Amino acid sequence: MAHTQPAAASPTVTDAVLIAAWQHGDEQAAAELVRRHARVLARFLAGAGAPEADLDDLVQETFIRAFRAVGRFRGQCQFRTWLLTIGGNVLRDAGRRWARHKVVPLDDALRSPLGDPHEEAVARETETRLGAGLARLPRMQREVFLLRAQQGLEYDEIAAALGTSTGAARVHYHHAVRRLKEFLQ
Amino acid sequence: MIDHTEQDRELRALVQGLGARAAERLDVERTAAEVVRRLREQAAVAPAWWGRTVWLRVAAAVVLIVGVGLIYRQGGPKSPRPVGDQVVSSTDAGLSELSSDQLRVLLQALDAEEFPGLTAAQDAGLEDLDAGQLRALLRSLEG
Repeated sequence: MAHTQPAAASPTVTDAVLIAAWQHGDEQAAAELVRRHARVLARFLAGAGAPEADLDDLVQETFIRAFRAVGRFRGQCQFRTWLLTIGGNVLRDAGRRWARHKVVPLDDALRSPLGDPHEEAVARETETRLGAGLARLPRMQREVFLLRAQQGLEYDEIAAALGTSTGAARVHYHHAVRRLKEFLQ
Repeated sequence: MIDHTEQDRELRALVQGLGARAAERLDVERTAAEVVRRLREQAAVAPAWWGRTVWLRVAAAVVLIVGVGLIYRQGGPKSPRPVGDQVVSSTDAGLSELSSDQLRVLLQALDAEEFPGLTAAQDAGLEDLDAGQLRALLRSLEG
């Protein structure tokens, strides 16, 4: 891959500029895009049910797919939103692989807790219950809910990223909320 | 404008924290370096793979062109037209309008097509059959 003038990795440089730079072979632009969006992506994936042990792999795979397909990104939504929807696809594919090979996610008790053990335990219990509720939702409802409630995106942005209408996204969100509340009660 | 109805405020608060600790533990610099390394690796592998597929496509195209050329050089794939069709199409009329001679020709043509395995012996008349053969024929007609 040809190396060209690297794009400045400052916050003022937009994602669009970094994407263009990456398309011209600037690896640092790709690295900067990873730095900007990796944590948000990881949070989205974890919320959508990704085991923590696989989070790094899933984040990497999502970025790899996104960079390979970046020519198809037409700016219909923000790069981050587009990335999250790719993350959803990566997680779905990984879920199929895990189901085929019957991979059991690392048990909670085996994870190394950081911070106060009691807080950890409470937070983990809440996460577990919410995660279980989210796992029971249809994929579209789950993704719309996470993009809305976790990422704070507007319905039209979500609709553009998921290829649906704003009204449908709104309906998915409200169904998800209703079902989650039922589950958590 | 993001709504904050009472119904989902609590849920929103819960989901905001979902995966936050796991995301915090992610080593972003290492992830970025790993992504760049994998992209570089794939970029190096891609041309070789593309080259192989291009050669395969070219080879397949050559085989196809040569094959089609050979077929047409030998006069093309001709399916012989059944004689019966010729009779019917030549009269271009219903069976009731055919003369007895034409009907005979047509029946002979159909016999020749539908029962190509018939031997000369099987084509023989009833008078040529012996008693056993006649009984067998009658049984087959009954059954």
